[in-house]
Amino acid sequence: MSESPASTPILQAEGLSKAFRVSDGERLARRRSITVLDDISLAVRRSETFGVVGESGCGKSTLARCLLALLEPSAGRVMFDGVDLARIEREGLRALRRRMQLVFQDAFASLDPRMSAGAIVEEPLLVHQVGDREQRAQAALEMLASVGLTAEQAARRPHAFSGGQRQRIAIARAFVLRPELVILDEPTSALDVSIQAQVLNLLRGLQRELGLTYVFVSHDLTVAEYFCDRVAVLYLGQVMELADRTALFHDPLHPYSVTLLSSVPVPRAGGRARRAARRRPIGEVGSVAERPPGCPFEPRCPVGRGRAVCQGERPALSSAKEGHLVACHFPGELER
Amino acid sequence: MPPAADLALSVRNLSAVFDDDGGEVRAVRDVSFDLRRSERLGIVGESGAGKSALALSILGLLEPPGRVTGGEVVLAGRDISKLSDRQLSAIRGREISIVLQDPATALDPVKTVGAQIVEALAAHQPDLSRAAARTRAVELLREVEIPHAERRVGDYPHEYSGGMRQRAAIAIAIANDPAVLIADEPTTALDVTTQAQVLALLDRLVEEHRTAVVLITHNLGVVSEFCDSVAVMYAGRFVESSPVDHVFLAPTHPYSEALLKCVPDPERLADGPLPAIAGLPPDLAHLPGGCSFAARCPVGRELALCHEQAPILHRVSGPAGEARVECHFAEQRIAEVRT
Repeated sequence: MSESPASTPILQAEGLSKAFRVSDGERLARRRSITVLDDISLAVRRSETFGVVGESGCGKSTLARCLLALLEPSAGRVMFDGVDLARIEREGLRALRRRMQLVFQDAFASLDPRMSAGAIVEEPLLVHQVGDREQRAQAALEMLASVGLTAEQAARRPHAFSGGQRQRIAIARAFVLRPELVILDEPTSALDVSIQAQVLNLLRGLQRELGLTYVFVSHDLTVAEYFCDRVAVLYLGQVMELADRTALFHDPLHPYSVTLLSSVPVPRAGGRARRAARRRPIGEVGSVAERPPGCPFEPRCPVGRGRAVCQGERPALSSAKEGHLVACHFPGELER
Repeated sequence: MPPAADLALSVRNLSAVFDDDGGEVRAVRDVSFDLRRSERLGIVGESGAGKSALALSILGLLEPPGRVTGGEVVLAGRDISKLSDRQLSAIRGREISIVLQDPATALDPVKTVGAQIVEALAAHQPDLSRAAARTRAVELLREVEIPHAERRVGDYPHEYSGGMRQRAAIAIAIANDPAVLIADEPTTALDVTTQAQVLALLDRLVEEHRTAVVLITHNLGVVSEFCDSVAVMYAGRFVESSPVDHVFLAPTHPYSEALLKCVPDPERLADGPLPAIAGLPPDLAHLPGGCSFAARCPVGRELALCHEQAPILHRVSGPAGEARVECHFAEQRIAEVRT
């Protein structure tokens, strides 16, 4: 059966792996390879918000960069709108870049301090030679207006803005080319909750208005649950579980997802009793440099720790329920 | 007021400023609170509210351009706010300690973790032998749940994971069994599973040593799940202080309520956009008269009273006990919650 273009995932990773060569301590000659992403397959549907969550070192940011062809995969492939990114020439990639953009956590570091907000937002239009000078300036002002910044503010440089306003400028710059897909890498992690609320509202509004697809990378599970339609949980560079928001947050099947979700403190009354009733996480967050041979979560897993199959055999990501994928030998055994 | 014997720390009318080209930035404005042994006080608020400046002021660690302009810090019956640096260093680490967000600031990269704990012990217990200090260092690392403590005591900080570094920094802070531990965003840089471990460690500290903990955080979930009391800080003041559940059941100051509402709640997804707080906090160098939250306040934005007259402290009785609220409408608002 051939798929209609509308059902083709806008973005797809197939068996994506990424290894980095690192020097071992002081002995530069002794280099070894560390696999940061290990055989990741996922498909992002058009107009959805696809979440990628996990703890530090799980490979979230590396995945974001591979998906945008900012990093070259060591194995596997990434396809944008059905086209393998590795097979596209430089010029083609440039054209594709117009259609996919990235917003970083640290807006300030990504904004040129010598340029005005207006010039920053206008720059991508210039790079991609969109319109004439007047049209570009006009488009930049309109984009800034839609993120809530005035024409007067457009003349100011980044240092004159607050953290939340800088993130708005970064968003305006990413959106001015009218991309189809935007990867948001921890876009609100550095912001206070009140500012975070404004930025999340803004991103939602823009998505609705422009029909965008988002890949939302976050370590904040509460924000991910609020903001995403589907979510992939990463641990040590592997997808542990991938499901709809409701299924993942209400009925998680992987012991790692359960552990992660029950570690999130909830801002409601009765918190002390709630925390006392919870199981405490076992051990330290692992490292991709010392990935266990079997399931990466085995050494910390309340279900599989010490079990031969979990120690010896890496579980494949497979369908447990309709649209609910999990990589575990004993899915659903650990209850929330 | 709690009985004196049970009182670990009493802060009275503490104020601090940062000298700036534009004038004095009034970071901490007349803050008072009492802390009992074993009490866990959470201080919440957004960046710039004065949380960290308050912590540093209490410890006498505020550095220029910052300076304490008034008030008392009474620790074990003695006002430490007028002591010299030298006198203070005999107290810091022994009677009161601080843990910061970034453990790198507490740990020296070129010394082993064990050597740094031994140093902390020796600073306040000169009679302790090297061997005894070494043994105690291993015990402390075990207490903060560093695996294979007897081996890892000889590691350098970079050989520890982020969560282990924070726990090692806590080991140093509690080495001399202080009565008060101030933890300034101790879990903000940590992953949630690691955060859960650090909170469990602080639990044990309170339960086994009766340490009083001041936990400074912007994470309302952490406050709800760790603290017994909470102070909401805005523009340098405690605008609401109460038993912890009060702020979740009946947030009485409009700022407390607004802060709580802008945390994304997946169950309110259908309610439309998140209720963000309009506007920005006031310029602390040029504070307006009246209530510092008035310009952003859904209740008082349009009211002359709120813009002209600073609210006095109202004591109201809420669902979790007494709350102290700096709002003209405190009684009215708590009555609305009750009905």
